[in-house]
Amino acid sequence: MSNDSRDASVRDPDHPLLSGNVSRRRFLTANAMGIGAVALASLLRRDGLLARERFRNSDPVEHESRGPHFAPRANAMISLFQHGGPSHVDLLDPKPELTRLHGKEYSDEVQYSFINRASKKLLGSPWEFRRHGESGTPVSELLPHLSEIVDDICVLRSMHTGANGHEVSIRYFHGGIPGVLGRPTIGSWLTYGLGSASDSLPSYMVLTDPGGPPVDGTHNWSNGFMPPLFRGTVLRPKEPRILNLNPPAYLRGDLQRQSLDFLRELNERHLDRNPAEEDLEARIASYELAARMQSAALEALDYSKESEATKKLYGLDDSTTRDYGTRCLLARRLVERGVRFVQLFHSGQPWDNHSNIRGSLASICKRTDKPVVALVKDLKQRGLLDTTLVHWGGEIGRLPVTENHGKPGKVGRDHNGQGFTMWLAGGGIRGGTGYGETDEFGHRAVVDRLTPNDYQATVLRLFGLDHDNLVYEHNGRQQEITAGRSARVVEEILA
Amino acid sequence: MKRKIVSILLLVLGAVGPPARTADPIAPSSGVTPVFERDIRPIFRAYCLDCHGAAKKKKGSLDLRLARLTRLGGKSGAAIVPGEPARSLLLKRVREGEMPPGEIRLDSEKIAVLERWIAGGAKTSGPEPDTIGEGIGITAHERDFWSLQPIVRSPVPSVDDPRARTDIDAFVVNAMPDGLSLSPDARPLTLLLRASFDLTGLPPDHDVVDEFLADPSDAAYERLVDRLLSSPAFGERWSRHWLDVAGYADSEGGSNRDGIRPWAYKYRDYVIRSMGHDVPLDRFLTEQLAGDELAGTKDGDWTERQIELLTATGFLRMAADGTRDRNSSEFRNAVVADTLKIVSSSLLGFSLACAQCHDHRYDPILQTDYYAVRAIFEPALDWKSWRTPEQRGVSLYTRADRQAAERIESQAQTLAREKEAKQSRYMAEALTKELEKYEAPLRGSLRRAYETPAGKRTEEDNALLKRYPSVNLHPGVLYQYDQKAADDLKTYDKRIADVRATKPAEEFVRALTEPPAHTPTTFRFHRGDHREPREAVSPGTLTALSPVGAGRAVLPGNDANLPTTGRRLAFARWLSSEHNPTTARVLANRIWMHLFGRGLVATPSDFGKLGSKPTHPELLDALALSLYESGWSLKRSLRSIMLSTVYRQSSRRDPDRDTIDRSNLYYWRQSVRRLDAEVVRDRMLAVTAKLGRSLWGPAVAVTEDETGQVLVPPGTRRRSVYVQSRRSQPVALLEVFDAPVMVTNCERRSSSTVATQSLMLLNGAFVLEQAAALADRARREAVDIVNAPILAGVEVDVALSKIDTPPILAQAATAWQLAYQRPAGREELRLAASFLRRQIDTLTRSPRKLPGARGPTEQAISNLCHMLLVSNEFLYVE
Repeated sequence: MSNDSRDASVRDPDHPLLSGNVSRRRFLTANAMGIGAVALASLLRRDGLLARERFRNSDPVEHESRGPHFAPRANAMISLFQHGGPSHVDLLDPKPELTRLHGKEYSDEVQYSFINRASKKLLGSPWEFRRHGESGTPVSELLPHLSEIVDDICVLRSMHTGANGHEVSIRYFHGGIPGVLGRPTIGSWLTYGLGSASDSLPSYMVLTDPGGPPVDGTHNWSNGFMPPLFRGTVLRPKEPRILNLNPPAYLRGDLQRQSLDFLRELNERHLDRNPAEEDLEARIASYELAARMQSAALEALDYSKESEATKKLYGLDDSTTRDYGTRCLLARRLVERGVRFVQLFHSGQPWDNHSNIRGSLASICKRTDKPVVALVKDLKQRGLLDTTLVHWGGEIGRLPVTENHGKPGKVGRDHNGQGFTMWLAGGGIRGGTGYGETDEFGHRAVVDRLTPNDYQATVLRLFGLDHDNLVYEHNGRQQEITAGRSARVVEEILA
Repeated sequence: MKRKIVSILLLVLGAVGPPARTADPIAPSSGVTPVFERDIRPIFRAYCLDCHGAAKKKKGSLDLRLARLTRLGGKSGAAIVPGEPARSLLLKRVREGEMPPGEIRLDSEKIAVLERWIAGGAKTSGPEPDTIGEGIGITAHERDFWSLQPIVRSPVPSVDDPRARTDIDAFVVNAMPDGLSLSPDARPLTLLLRASFDLTGLPPDHDVVDEFLADPSDAAYERLVDRLLSSPAFGERWSRHWLDVAGYADSEGGSNRDGIRPWAYKYRDYVIRSMGHDVPLDRFLTEQLAGDELAGTKDGDWTERQIELLTATGFLRMAADGTRDRNSSEFRNAVVADTLKIVSSSLLGFSLACAQCHDHRYDPILQTDYYAVRAIFEPALDWKSWRTPEQRGVSLYTRADRQAAERIESQAQTLAREKEAKQSRYMAEALTKELEKYEAPLRGSLRRAYETPAGKRTEEDNALLKRYPSVNLHPGVLYQYDQKAADDLKTYDKRIADVRATKPAEEFVRALTEPPAHTPTTFRFHRGDHREPREAVSPGTLTALSPVGAGRAVLPGNDANLPTTGRRLAFARWLSSEHNPTTARVLANRIWMHLFGRGLVATPSDFGKLGSKPTHPELLDALALSLYESGWSLKRSLRSIMLSTVYRQSSRRDPDRDTIDRSNLYYWRQSVRRLDAEVVRDRMLAVTAKLGRSLWGPAVAVTEDETGQVLVPPGTRRRSVYVQSRRSQPVALLEVFDAPVMVTNCERRSSSTVATQSLMLLNGAFVLEQAAALADRARREAVDIVNAPILAGVEVDVALSKIDTPPILAQAATAWQLAYQRPAGREELRLAASFLRRQIDTLTRSPRKLPGARGPTEQAISNLCHMLLVSNEFLYVE
């Protein structure tokens, strides 16, 4: 990571916080998809530097060369969101005491979501754990591929939302306040703060599942109170992957190019009559961007020329892993081409293993373990992992006690927002480490407890941003991703 | 280039006004000594008083509500030592980050102010009270805030500017710094388009264009404004502004199912009618808040007027309501909280929501104020005896309808009985046939077993029937025994359904009503949590808006003259009374905002400390006063603003003036504004003559194309205001142009410029359809101008001029006129000609299958029309 600031500036020439000289055209084109200058202005305002902007606009450019809040470690992020609540005690947080007392009555209080199927019978993990890598990180036999990269990841075992419900915790992770809708997501904040590194692709993209939308639907990539510019652009799971990306066949090619030339002439003439109107200039640029996007997006999404070895690595040759593998591969291709934030979602919530956890948990692990690990390995071998943060995790975990006790074949675990696990890799994260602990049953986070706000603050820090000072003015109020809630950067896990 | 960044900021954020100025605290570096009330208490209020003042029990026994109590300190001793910052514990704790606890920190500016206050002797601006009650309370200084002051009539400044036409101009010119003055009037066509889109959301009709361009005098302009104000399209356009703040949606939200609200449209139509008829705004808001109280009880059938009044209360039923799917205390209280948010942000200009959990951190709004306002609504929105959306619908069945329905139902019943009788006869006959297969005595036993009711059969009976299952006859197998009988029975089902279908359709009003004599007690919820009710709170208004020293103005708990409690009616009357300065200001500001793209107060729903301050306070008050004086007429208010030079001036920038006021905060020019989402769609339909002009009615249901994109069904002619606005299914074309997707409500739209809009405009099916339709229309109407002088002298291409009849260039010129409401210039026609030439060449060189059996010429014209429809001249008003 010693040379990553140079890497960042090479890969990211438009980074407003790194570059002291932004050409106007570049500025406008970048702006059409999400420019950092907006954030820049806001950042500076927070520092009082733009105070004069009130009634007499000053030139903020003189301050442009001010660095970001911190040296950035990451310049892109891929978030593999695992809807439903992965069962941490069966995956990455082994609990020998739980295994020892399997079937016994749990003495502590438990908050259930489904009281009618609840019991207090402890449920030891049916799966074996082994230590792997130099770090000796314990991983369940459900995740054989993950065990190969444990020295690249940092396992956070003390996540806590305090609420057991799905939506409450999902919104907490995305928007910063439990249960509250109408807020921008972490992807919005990153693209708002850093702008686009691509002049032909949206900076915030979402890859959805062919099976349907995730729980909480489009709220998962909402721009909230920010302009639509900062909403995740959804790559559809099947063609057409971007809506309205291409004209109908009979208009493609020369015909549309001539039309766009004609349109530019109309607009330039109109601009001559309304000189220096930025909104009009921005729309001219936006048409140019749209035209570039038509070819750039097609190229980015066409993975047919990837090597057979790569396709195999992601499991594209196996119907079990093909779908998630394809999306993981696309995520890498997008990040390679300058997309700032990519998030993957499942249909519904496959990790919500209330019933038949033995079957349903094993099944979702099989579908995802190999592709996820392929992504980390692939990023690493291409030298992208240093600057690309990878996140794997759901909104909650699961309880140590049995749901559907006494019903063989139906045994599962209920929701648990009191303690659960997720992991991070790359982008300035110290690999081969763990952080935090749950109690001896995996019920509650007890050591170094972390909230989604801590997670958000830490992610922003890796991008060189201070969560408290990345502000957006909404209805006259300065908003931050953590909404003024207590949040701390987990310095201990930074490389 | 350098200036771009700031203005792009404005562009991206939409109509963002000047950054918020919190109060008027002293500048950090100024030489003025800070005083407690003005400079210190706001800091304490925001960061400290939750623990050290608000509650009865104060952390560390430290009370920071008064300067003298701060001096006194708590368990750890004096918090400050006047004159000695270095010895002041409070400053040390704050500096070292120990206080406030958690991650929130005071910034260095605030710490510096604290330090200078202590260094300067910890002064107050006046003597402090000897005793202090509970809670944070409201100080005289806090009450001194601009938006809480009575509306003041300022003398109209006399200005020396011949361009100033009206009082509004005088206020605006008077506020301008040196170097700024009003710009020249916009050109007649520009002004005409601006006025037309602002008032009707549609391009002007051709006769209006011709008439105004022939005589663009001041008097003609006045007539034009009046004509537009009286257009039916006016109500449609201006209702949309109100529907945004009211949070109008055709679906319930609040749950993933997002069920449809089939009757919400009646409220939308109420708003359209009220705007169109210029119902006085005070009456308009009173009807919406308390229409049911005004309507009184039902005596026989609901009268038309009563229905109108009940419909108006749909305003209070716009909040997302998921209680049909999950009727929990949490969901019920969410509906109440959202309704209060809509009411306060649309009519009060304060975000009451902040006071739901504790006294407002910045504005003088107490937590008990929140619950006093909640108490106004609780008889109708009682979370303890809740009614789901289905239970709240008010049926519009008249007595005659009901009687007719009963009569028809009894006919249906007669038929049903007839059918039943026939059925038992047919079944008996069938049984006899079936039993013929068996010998006695088995035959008799089987008949007995079959005819014994299921519950009374003996084991022997059941065994028999199990052994001979074909005896178990049911009407479904009747046809095997007697086809004619089976057919006969079937005709009954249809006849019964046909009879029932003649019942009068039952319609409902989405209304808010109170159950009779229902006066639930409202409690303050500790930390806003309904599971922790504390003391009871009576209905009332905001303390800070009540007469000084009198405490909160209490509203009647139960008006003896009304069948309802009368709480909402009293509240509505208070809102529009001279005792409350906020509502008139809020409405005046919103009217201004829709004509200039930005309000005089840039935060239209927050007139508090975190909101913006008015750029022109005297003008804002003058506009608010004129609302009272004009009888709360929206149209008169619009008229007076639109007749001003400020409104009529050109939007052109000017380099010199830009250096002084680039953001145009002084209104030295009009603004260039992008059309709203609905207007973009409506304008396209209007120029292709595909826009229907029928008013009102049920929402047009949206649909999805094969890619899952939400669309207005192709071929729909209705204006966008009539398109179903479903929370979970926003129409892609409208959403991408910033139409709100309702969560609660939309206080102000943003105006964004993004590539997804460009993709939608370039490749979206709707726009392509409109392009083809415009081309068709241009071809049809081109004969009219085939010999127009404009075409003379455009000697572009002899070959081209011979193509098609009418000549292709005449079609292009007509398309221009239709799209932009102005003729094409010569240079533009040359451009068009060379474009068409290239397109036709390409299409001829590489033939392709074109939709609608179009030939190369028609496709070329269609593509030309397409570009006109997506060009900046089409999407913006100047």
